[in-house]
Amino acid sequence: MEESSSSSTRSAAQTHKIKEKEPQKGGKKRTKAEEEEEEELFNFKSKSTEEEEEDEDLSDSEDSIFSGLEDSGSDEDDDDEELSDDGDEEGLDDGELKLEQTQQIGIETKKETEETGETEETEGGRTEKAKQEDEYVHDSSDEEDIRNTVGNVPMEWYRDFPHIGYNLDGKKIYKPIRNKDELDDFLDKMDNPDYWRTVPDKQTGSDVVLSDEQVQLVNRLQRGQFGDANFNEYEPQVEFFSRDVMLHPVTNRPADKRSFIPSLIEKEKVSKLVHAIKMGWIKPRRVEDDSRGRYYDLWANEDSSILARHKMHLPAPKIPLPGHQESYNPPPEYLFTDEERALWEQQDPCDRKLPFVPRKFSSLRQVPAFSRFIHERFERCLDLYLCPRQRKMRVNVNPEDLIPKLPKPKDLQPFPTTQSLVYRGHSGLVRSISVSPSGQWLASGSDDGSVRFWEVCSSRCLKTVQVGGAVKSVAWNPNPSVCLLAVALDSVVLILSPSLADRQVVLSSERLLSAPQEADANEGAGPVTWSETEGEELNHGIRLKIQHPKAVQQVSWHAKGDYVASVMPDHSSNLQVLIHQLSRRRSQNPFRKNKGLVQCVSFHPVRPYFFVGTQRSVRIYNLVKQEMTKKLQANSKWISSMAVHPGGDHVICGSYDCRLSWFDLDLSTKPYKMLRHHKKAVRGVAYHRLYPLFASASDDGTVIVCHGTVYNDLLQNPLIVPVKVLRGHEITHDLGVLDVTFHPTQPWVFSSGADATIRLFT
Amino acid sequence: MSQLQARFFTEDKRYIVDDVPFSIPAGSEVQDLSNVINKLLEANNASHSKVEFDFLVRGQFLRTSLSIHMDTEGISTEEVVELEYVERITAPEPEECMMHDDWISSVDADAEWILTGSYDKTARIWSVEGKAVMTVAGHTDVVKDVAWVKRDGLTSLLLTASLDQTLLLWEWNSERNKLKARHCCRGHTGSVDAVATDPTGSKFCSGSWDKMLKIWSAVPTDEADEVEEPADRPRKKQKTQQLGLTRTPLMTLSGHNEAVSSVLWCDSEEVCSASWDHTIRVWDVETGGMKTALTGSKVFNCISYSPLCRRLASGSTDRHIRLWDPRTKDGSLVLLSLTSHTGWVTAVKWAPSHEHQLVSGSLDNLVKLWDTRSCKAPLYDLAAHEDKVFCVDWTESGLMLSGGADNKLYSYRYSACQTDAGA
Repeated sequence: MEESSSSSTRSAAQTHKIKEKEPQKGGKKRTKAEEEEEEELFNFKSKSTEEEEEDEDLSDSEDSIFSGLEDSGSDEDDDDEELSDDGDEEGLDDGELKLEQTQQIGIETKKETEETGETEETEGGRTEKAKQEDEYVHDSSDEEDIRNTVGNVPMEWYRDFPHIGYNLDGKKIYKPIRNKDELDDFLDKMDNPDYWRTVPDKQTGSDVVLSDEQVQLVNRLQRGQFGDANFNEYEPQVEFFSRDVMLHPVTNRPADKRSFIPSLIEKEKVSKLVHAIKMGWIKPRRVEDDSRGRYYDLWANEDSSILARHKMHLPAPKIPLPGHQESYNPPPEYLFTDEERALWEQQDPCDRKLPFVPRKFSSLRQVPAFSRFIHERFERCLDLYLCPRQRKMRVNVNPEDLIPKLPKPKDLQPFPTTQSLVYRGHSGLVRSISVSPSGQWLASGSDDGSVRFWEVCSSRCLKTVQVGGAVKSVAWNPNPSVCLLAVALDSVVLILSPSLADRQVVLSSERLLSAPQEADANEGAGPVTWSETEGEELNHGIRLKIQHPKAVQQVSWHAKGDYVASVMPDHSSNLQVLIHQLSRRRSQNPFRKNKGLVQCVSFHPVRPYFFVGTQRSVRIYNLVKQEMTKKLQANSKWISSMAVHPGGDHVICGSYDCRLSWFDLDLSTKPYKMLRHHKKAVRGVAYHRLYPLFASASDDGTVIVCHGTVYNDLLQNPLIVPVKVLRGHEITHDLGVLDVTFHPTQPWVFSSGADATIRLFT
Repeated sequence: MSQLQARFFTEDKRYIVDDVPFSIPAGSEVQDLSNVINKLLEANNASHSKVEFDFLVRGQFLRTSLSIHMDTEGISTEEVVELEYVERITAPEPEECMMHDDWISSVDADAEWILTGSYDKTARIWSVEGKAVMTVAGHTDVVKDVAWVKRDGLTSLLLTASLDQTLLLWEWNSERNKLKARHCCRGHTGSVDAVATDPTGSKFCSGSWDKMLKIWSAVPTDEADEVEEPADRPRKKQKTQQLGLTRTPLMTLSGHNEAVSSVLWCDSEEVCSASWDHTIRVWDVETGGMKTALTGSKVFNCISYSPLCRRLASGSTDRHIRLWDPRTKDGSLVLLSLTSHTGWVTAVKWAPSHEHQLVSGSLDNLVKLWDTRSCKAPLYDLAAHEDKVFCVDWTESGLMLSGGADNKLYSYRYSACQTDAGA
């Protein structure tokens, strides 16, 4: 018991010493470790041998060991040698040959290993002996070999000396006398059967014959086998750590107390981290945003901010999402019936409503591969690649916003809305009507060759004058102090005095007509003949006849009532317009050149301007300066009629191509507004004298009344609102309403039509 | 069918029933209610003969079923409904048709005689029975308006206004059937469209296209007023043309901006005129100044004044008959609007003996009898005319007259309830 404990402590001390040596030895560490390994091995070996020989040498070895440690006996070395000799000798008793052989071998091996492992050999030998005595004897290197005190030095150093070292007493250990020459050696080799196992001991210089066990050990080592022959390298492995929970723990050691106590170090570390987080030195790890980038959303709308970078980026049109029809298990109504299927098969592929036949499968597993996939992708690519996509600058405007903000017609009252009176009596179409300046009388000229005078309020025809020809135009003298009517028929302009007014007025108009005829002198030169009527015609009120060279289409009065202009449309002549002065019975042709077919003429209500409407334009002449001041382009093919606003700054023109154009003379020579409300040719237009109204009559049988406010402010454009479509006239012979005129004081409009009636709308 | 609680009452002593609420079906119409009253009356009085009744709910005639009427008028059906019943106004019966040679422009009738003006430049006197008595010829143009001035025994004074800008004051002796033009009233410079005599018959007022109103003396004299003649005027010619002595106006009322279409006397000091300038003006004859002006939005064709209800009825070119209070100061207050005509209302006349009834003529060929308690629909449409109606009149004897462009003057006997008379 004591021995084992002491040995354990010693071995611990020995390892400790080795550890201490490590830094000193440095490069030798490896060899030292190897040595120790070998030493261990030898120790194992020696143990086994030792145990065998324990009975014999126990006391001796103990003695030697203790003597070596405690008191160094002078004879110790000898004893040791003797002991070993004894041992050898005892062994020799078993077989001398063996010993000799080993010695010989030892000599041989000595030669071989002299350079390399001499020390090891000697060490091995030495330890072997030491272990024979006591396995714990030489724990330290100092106590390795107590027979020779030179220590662990190369033995060559003693080659030239007679001794090989010193014993514990400081006396020289002499080399054994070797007087063998090579021949002896050879002989010995030949003779001695143990020669191969004879090994010289460097420490002592003597030859040692290795025993069988030792030879075996050497052989095993040379083969790389484990030193101990009994050692089973392949013992069954005991698995300490397995998946099975064992009844007993691997270690029975109770858990440490510290494993139950919060660690102070950890606490310190945590508090440091907390502080760092609080100070903002450590930021929490950012949560990785998974929303963008990782997966591409095919159906997502393209980001406008990305698109903004590419100005002309045009996203490819998306494929429509699959519907119920594409389902593998569509509702039954999507499945084709036989007829549908037959129809589908008959149809041209491009005509088919569906490019596939909806099919039903009991489970998704049974859906076959889509055979047309590649084809469809290819087509799609072709579409994207070949069909040019271009950016449409489409304006997203609500159509209702495009409708101009116009006041409601209700707010623009009064204006004529309903037909109130029908003036019947004519038998032919009524081409022209005119209202007396007082608003009491209405004159109408018809194709039946009569001029009729009507009482406005009762639709009573008070007077009929047969003029003997289709009346083209009638015009009431706008001067309220005279009561005269100009009538154009054939190539004559008649001046009628209907005597429907106060006696004073009638008299003053008589006076105007019977003015001194000073123009008689140059009457012959003019193209026009003035003549007074007589007899029957005079009784009817026809006072003057102005014979024109050509057919007269229109007559128009000047606001003062002295001048009347007549129009004789002619392509090839400059004699198209004549201005007659009643008081002097004089006529003049204001134009020297033919500027186009004159359709209608009008005087400016206030200023000395004269409006001449030709086919495509309206020319405005200054009568004083005798020059053209403006030419209005009507943008229409054939002007039919014209009316001048009572203010004189606006003109409306009706044309045979269904248009009504409003000109603002201060604004432009182009129409300020074109109204295309009529379906057919516009025949007549009229302004109201007082109310902001104008009307147009058309062959489609309607009169359209529009509100047209004119502002004194030059910056404000006229407000034009169509307010009412008046129907009533019947269309006869493709002619509807032929003339339209307003009542001078009331918001009433008169219209005359091809159905031989005149209608009043109020 | 739900039931209503109704209580019947009447002003008419003859038809009084017990003042107890009855439960009647909500959907009952006038005829049903009338039957109910008749049953009640029969129960009271076995000798009762069946009478047709009309019913008033809060002063409005019942024209539809009771529930619909109360729904539209917003009357609660929870409470007891007060139903006033009156004897139904029987339809005017057409009596005579007086043929003229031309359009009839105007009519004025009193208890005995009917005076009509025509577009054939004459006026005619008819008996009430429809016999032509006299033709008044003298105007050189269409007679636009006529008026009786005064009846003094067998001698009558009458006025004709014409488009020839004059008015003629005639004296007619009905017994001898002699007619004499007493005065030719000159002064207007336009067609004289309206004439009216004052209640006393001493003055008359004329309205003309020349925008003027003139007050004349209606008393015939033997002296001609002095007329300023233009120096160069051929005087001789004038004399030969003239019928009767020249008379000049006492007063000229100017203020209208357009033609005067109708005039009337509210009382002996007040003249009311309607004009094309969309106004009705009330004038003080004493001072010659305008008192009030009622402004409309359309041309006025005719006005009529009822001293019974003191309302002015106007017919205008927008198909409406409007009722005005001429005494209002603020001007333009329409009390009620009667709308059923489809053309211009050319003539309107209050009933002389009934405060709620008036008759109107229109260019849509219809004459309508109205009750102001039923403003949505007229009581009766008199569709006798084949052309425009220009004039209507209503005599105190219960004769309604209408003339128009079909040259016919129709007379209708209107059986006014005796009890209603003077109510």
